[in-house]
Amino acid sequence: MLIIGENIHIISPTVKTAVKDRDAKTIQKMARLQVEHGADMLDLNIGPQKRRGVEVMDWIVDAVQEVTDVPLSLDTTNVAAIETGLKKVKRQAMINSTSADPDRLNTGMPLAAEYNAKIIALTMGKSGIPTSAEGRVEMAMEVLIPKAMELGIPMADLYLDPLVLTVNGTQEHGPETLNAVRFFKQLTDPPPMTVVGLSNVSNSVPHENRSLINRTYLVMLLAAGLDSAIADPLDEKLHEFIRIVEERDTSTGLGNLLVTFYDKTAAMEELEPSDVDMSDPEQVGVWKTAQILYNKVIYAHAYLRM
Amino acid sequence: MPVTVQLPKEKWTGTVREVTLGAAAAEGGTRKKIVTVGGESTLPFLTFEGEIPNRPMVALEVQDRYPDDWSDLLKDVWGDTMQDAAAWAQKAEEYGADLIVLKLQSAHPEGDNTDAAQAAETTKAVLAATGLPLIVYGPGQAEKDNEVLVASAEAAEGERIALGNCEDKNYRTIVAAAMAHGHLVVAKTPIDVNLAKQLNILISDMRLDLDRILMDPTTGSLGYGLEYTYSVMERLRIAALTGDSMTQQPMICTVGEEAWRAKESKVNEGVPEAWGDWDQRSINWEVLTATTLIEAGADIVVLRHPESVKLVTKAISDLMAA
Repeated sequence: MLIIGENIHIISPTVKTAVKDRDAKTIQKMARLQVEHGADMLDLNIGPQKRRGVEVMDWIVDAVQEVTDVPLSLDTTNVAAIETGLKKVKRQAMINSTSADPDRLNTGMPLAAEYNAKIIALTMGKSGIPTSAEGRVEMAMEVLIPKAMELGIPMADLYLDPLVLTVNGTQEHGPETLNAVRFFKQLTDPPPMTVVGLSNVSNSVPHENRSLINRTYLVMLLAAGLDSAIADPLDEKLHEFIRIVEERDTSTGLGNLLVTFYDKTAAMEELEPSDVDMSDPEQVGVWKTAQILYNKVIYAHAYLRM
Repeated sequence: MPVTVQLPKEKWTGTVREVTLGAAAAEGGTRKKIVTVGGESTLPFLTFEGEIPNRPMVALEVQDRYPDDWSDLLKDVWGDTMQDAAAWAQKAEEYGADLIVLKLQSAHPEGDNTDAAQAAETTKAVLAATGLPLIVYGPGQAEKDNEVLVASAEAAEGERIALGNCEDKNYRTIVAAAMAHGHLVVAKTPIDVNLAKQLNILISDMRLDLDRILMDPTTGSLGYGLEYTYSVMERLRIAALTGDSMTQQPMICTVGEEAWRAKESKVNEGVPEAWGDWDQRSINWEVLTATTLIEAGADIVVLRHPESVKLVTKAISDLMAA
């Protein structure tokens, strides 16, 4: 499981100010902290940066590589900025991202081939994100994978991203995104890689509920074959869930539940009340969150209390 | 060879709550008619797999000031009756409405800005003029809604009226007034299943019984977002039938307000000839919006035109008999 640290993101006011002031110290501190907390790669989201993209990417890649040698994910829609970053990186980088929209596909994908980079390919076209798993898979199969093959990009470097959307408002996407990951892994041999922007699943959810929704969904995604996630490495509870399912640690009640949850999801089954110790609040939290993510119970901010 | 076809039947586990509006003399009110909605244990009109104990109900809207901004067609059909809320309500009862919706529009701060005393007086006058159960709305401005609805609730003590709207940021005062005087509330959310459920939770956290809450999912009229309302209502109803307790409230749709806002019904100047007869088109606009939402699970539709009441009531009878 590859964790791509998401915290250097232009939407964060701290990052925005640091980028504007070229305050390398702040960015470097964030980079180090994420790596110390288990980030395998760092996402550098500089926003679209239409005018200053090249300049900003040039600066931020240097700043981050001064303090860490984990690979970098270059996150912007500015193609020139990505190319600048690709020229500077010391290790194989990731392009974040391209999509099935021809304008982005025909500029992003050739860069990955030219610079031997990994690339995230979103199953999204000009007209938006398909609602169903099938729609996403079709886009991967008919547009993204053929293009990568044509350019000689190995499947091990192609990261298909089915686009995770929030349970608060687009709940019906939850099971579809999960199944898309499952189907992506069956499309080719060797299979393509898969990635999600995990935290999106809890966008516009009150802060105290976000981590539980993120880590519960991650267990399901891992069971469906997810290889990597752009996520918050500082979330210790997220690491704990990953550790439990990776080590199959059933020494606790929660561990038992999560391993069952993982196995059942892998077998395309769902948790049942008999799998859960309803006297354990942590297990009940996972159970209720699973009902939300299965799209069986309508999400409301107070869903854990019900 | 004859083939036997097994009729597929869903086994629903949940039931919509029954909500009763109006109280007769025995319960401390003065209503001649009591209306109960909800109670469905199946999708609209699918009685082969569940019960529909109560048919959808039709309300007519009256206001406590002459609605200058309404379509001329509505002004023509109601005439001078619209000068007086009590007379208007009485007429609405004659036209076959099951319920009266009273909108205290005169209280709007940017309009006549009438006060709580006026709201209480109007509420009493309308209750005296009709034997139907009453739903009262404020002018739709949070502070003023609180002021006039509290007065209405007090004036209608014992009558089991419904007070609307309770919204996300503005529900406490109205819920408290309903609890103090034995009334119901209308919980309104902007075409969003998550918020609809959350608001029901917040209201029930204040300990108002769940059989005193109607949900208003926010109506989009025909051609202006009807399909969004439709799918939100369908989703809420399916959740209710599958046992999600906080979605099991009957639904009310303010059809007239939205349908008569559409250009197709409101005016006849500068519209294409192909749109056809104005009168017929406008009524169709209201009736089609109403019947479509009844198919999505509406338990109460609030209308404005008497002819629409007749047509929608007929459609409901036919659907219940089918």
